[in-house]
Amino acid sequence: MSYNGGPMTEAMYYVLLALMRPNHGYQLMQLITEVSNGRLKMGPGTLYGVLSRMQKDDLIVLSKDDGRRKTYEITSEGERALRIEYERLKSLIIDSALLEEGEKHD
Amino acid sequence: MTKIVRKLRPTDYWRIGEHESWFSDMSAKGLHLHKVGIHFAHFKKGDPKRMEYRIEVTQTKEMPYEQSSMYEVNGWDYVASYQYFHVFSSPEENDALELHTDPMEQSYTLDQLNKQLIMSFIPTAFVVLLIIGTLAAMWFLNDTPVLGLVEGQLTQQMAFSIIYLYLGYYSTRAMLSIQALRRKLKEGKAINHHAPWEKHLRRNKAFSFVLTITVLIGSTLPLIQIFKSETLTLPADDSNLPIVRLGDIEENSLLVQEEHYIEGIDYSNFYTFNWSLFAPMQYVTYENGVIENQTWLDKRGTYSPTIYTELYHLTLKPLAKPLNSDLIKRHSFGVDRELFVEIKHPNLDKLIIHDAGEIKQLIASKGKAVMYIRYSGNVEVDVIIENAAQKINLLSEE
Repeated sequence: MSYNGGPMTEAMYYVLLALMRPNHGYQLMQLITEVSNGRLKMGPGTLYGVLSRMQKDDLIVLSKDDGRRKTYEITSEGERALRIEYERLKSLIIDSALLEEGEKHD
Repeated sequence: MTKIVRKLRPTDYWRIGEHESWFSDMSAKGLHLHKVGIHFAHFKKGDPKRMEYRIEVTQTKEMPYEQSSMYEVNGWDYVASYQYFHVFSSPEENDALELHTDPMEQSYTLDQLNKQLIMSFIPTAFVVLLIIGTLAAMWFLNDTPVLGLVEGQLTQQMAFSIIYLYLGYYSTRAMLSIQALRRKLKEGKAINHHAPWEKHLRRNKAFSFVLTITVLIGSTLPLIQIFKSETLTLPADDSNLPIVRLGDIEENSLLVQEEHYIEGIDYSNFYTFNWSLFAPMQYVTYENGVIENQTWLDKRGTYSPTIYTELYHLTLKPLAKPLNSDLIKRHSFGVDRELFVEIKHPNLDKLIIHDAGEIKQLIASKGKAVMYIRYSGNVEVDVIIENAAQKINLLSEE
């Protein structure tokens, strides 16, 4: 299924985020765990699926392939999609202020 | 040398969780997966070890190197493949990171397989419809379907149709199951890697058995039928066949057979034996006689009676009744169908006669035996009935 601009899966979002700096598969897994403060451990199957799907959708591109190791980087289209998603997530947080207020009242 | 053990796969190829669970249970028994065939999986015998198995579906039959090496780095070793399914394993104690941590993302790995199953379903559905149509035509447009079944012309088509219908059913299930799995994953429900497979095994074994038997029957029946069929000259004296002979009816010592030999067989006095699944004993006989000093009742010339018989000993008694009607259809020419009348006879289940002067026809049945006689001659129909009843009783007592 190609990306249609709707909400991203968590896996997709974090891979795009991690690819703001070119990176290769194995390092990406570690980086995602780091970026998410250990909250997200992404399985290699999920990572491979996200990478190949986003490559097809031109959200990321293969920047270096020395046969053994493939390095990916985000495309301008990918970055735009990531920023749109970021804005969407931010509005989610803003809209959730209601919850914070609720907690204050308690 | 490592011993290879072959085991029937417990369930359909598309059931991922059940297969993973089965492989895992086998390795705990010391049987380590080595190869997966269409019906059987091959295991190498070794020390029992608790292993986790995962199956990955890919878009191409060959798994990309980058993908499998990524799995290997994370502790999952490649084991075997079948079609688009690839099996990886990892020792349970290593507690390797799951291949798929996001069911939604995993559902996308089934997209291509789903498309392919839909593409292959379309021609299969077409073929199945064609088969159902052909079967219906064979059964409903054929004037005498029970005769076709009993004489064996229809059994092979039926056996093969059952196999095709099963294949149609199978590919439909494959498509629907993969779609259901995709839906589940999209809803965030992960695959159960320890799904129970035992009850599937029993069903699968029974199914494989029935299918194998059907294939065997379908492919060997016509051969047996040809092999068992033979046509021989009907000897003038007693033949020990359970049929009514001209001699029994005419009771005239001057009766001689009128002969007409072709390649060693007298085609004026012959019998053919046939075998089929639904009637393992079938005879078609024809006898031609002459009595020189006697004429036909209308004095038109030398008396030359004939008798033609079709005899069926059925496997299933319920076939006798529809066979009676089919025999009427075969031997009447539409218009004179109503001239076949049923009369009661104490020693027969059913007796139908058609008395048209010189030509007398009768269909008699008792138990699993059904007999059709067409007699052309001067003797009264009652004599033929009594002779037929006597012979058919010999057969039904067997």
